[in-house]
Amino acid sequence: MGLFDEQLTQVRRFLREAEEAGRLRRLDASPSKPWPSGSSLVLREDTALELGNPSIGSLSMLIWCEEGAARDGAVSLVGPDLGEAEGTDMPFAQVVIAAGEFPNEYDSYRDLRDAVYDTKLKGLSVRAMPSKQVLWCRVSREAAGGGLSLGHLGAALLGNLREVPGVTAAETLFVTSGSADIARLSGAAAGARRLVDAMMKMYQEKNFDCETCEYQDVCETVMDLKKIRKKLADGKAV
Amino acid sequence: MILAVCGKGGVGKTTVSAIGAKALAGSGRKALIVDADPAGGLAMALGIEPASTLNDVRKALIEEVKAGRRDEKDLAVSVDYLVAEALTERGNLAFLSIGRPEDVGCYCKVNVILKDAIEMLGGLFGAVLVDAEAGIEQVNRKVMGAVDYVLLVSDTSAKAVRVAETIREVSGRMIPEAGAGLLVNRVRGPAEADRVAAGTSLEVVGRVPEDDTVREFDASQRSFFDLPECPASVAVESALAAAGLL
Repeated sequence: MGLFDEQLTQVRRFLREAEEAGRLRRLDASPSKPWPSGSSLVLREDTALELGNPSIGSLSMLIWCEEGAARDGAVSLVGPDLGEAEGTDMPFAQVVIAAGEFPNEYDSYRDLRDAVYDTKLKGLSVRAMPSKQVLWCRVSREAAGGGLSLGHLGAALLGNLREVPGVTAAETLFVTSGSADIARLSGAAAGARRLVDAMMKMYQEKNFDCETCEYQDVCETVMDLKKIRKKLADGKAV
Repeated sequence: MILAVCGKGGVGKTTVSAIGAKALAGSGRKALIVDADPAGGLAMALGIEPASTLNDVRKALIEEVKAGRRDEKDLAVSVDYLVAEALTERGNLAFLSIGRPEDVGCYCKVNVILKDAIEMLGGLFGAVLVDAEAGIEQVNRKVMGAVDYVLLVSDTSAKAVRVAETIREVSGRMIPEAGAGLLVNRVRGPAEADRVAAGTSLEVVGRVPEDDTVREFDASQRSFFDLPECPASVAVESALAAAGLL
């Protein structure tokens, strides 16, 4: 059992259905030439393509699971890649799945999250709003002209995730096909966020008065959160 | 390069900043224009209507904290997003308005995160021009810790020159490595400018003549992006170039 079993099941269902419909593509996760990393400021006048404007669809999700539950190295795409975009904007969802052993959930979450946040590619500005689970990106004209692809982004994400202690496998899914597809993942993303918020509250506040806690419902239904609560309440966590 | 335009209220800081913004627009460099005066006069002078302000960002962050989201990394990432949303872009320029703080209470963590975010954002631009609040308050509060040059603006009145000297004194203590110079505004002839220069220890880096074109733009609220070349704009641009902004 894992903390995000339900969310992982929903993502797997989404992937399976997209594959059955012939809409799932596997991107090259080890492009011959990695894209250079670096922070970028992309102003509108330099923007070739905008991804994840919340008005047309944006989603970001990070979940982790037990060893063997992630397809290591997979970079999946539903929808057009950056170079195939029609127009100047696309909806965008980024789902990141890490597998491994994470004895301290709080530290592991922060390490995984930092690995995602710190993935910066030259010519791609990425802005995230964790509480809204949105990811708003701009691709510069120069980067677009130079062939930046979601394969490059996926490879960079996987590379950073593999450096996180305990990670044995990682995969990513990008969705650019439309807001309807992104909406199909929004329930999973909202569930994942709520689990993370509940876990963060436990670790940060060390308050186990469940009667007054707004996360009582998730703690009561997700076995792994119960375990975390018990571990912390027993003072076993460091 | 971060340049802050400081001085007593009413001496023409906003006009100088607006002329600087127009010059930066023509330079092609990515530049950030910060309206740090809560009155928001620079936005008006440039004909910009910001959708949100830094104070809106601060309020949104405070709401995040109140909702229990206190993780520093999440907050830092959020502020990056919210500040980007608050930017009003115009070609190679991005405009950020500080806004008017309305809420009370101590949110030191939020303020520190905001300050860090602004400094980081500034680092991504080739040039940053800050139209500062009147007086010395922002210098005192170390809001401008990363400033490279303080352009002190005064008119020809002794009071305005004294305020500029005080700002220089305070900024010299707070940011000793920053350069500074006095730009004398609304000068009505060489004799008046010479009198000001003779009466101050500040280095005079420019003399901006009283200019009917600027007065007309001010009076009719026309955007300074449309200001044609005129004696005042030439003098301001020359001072900004000497300071290293242009």
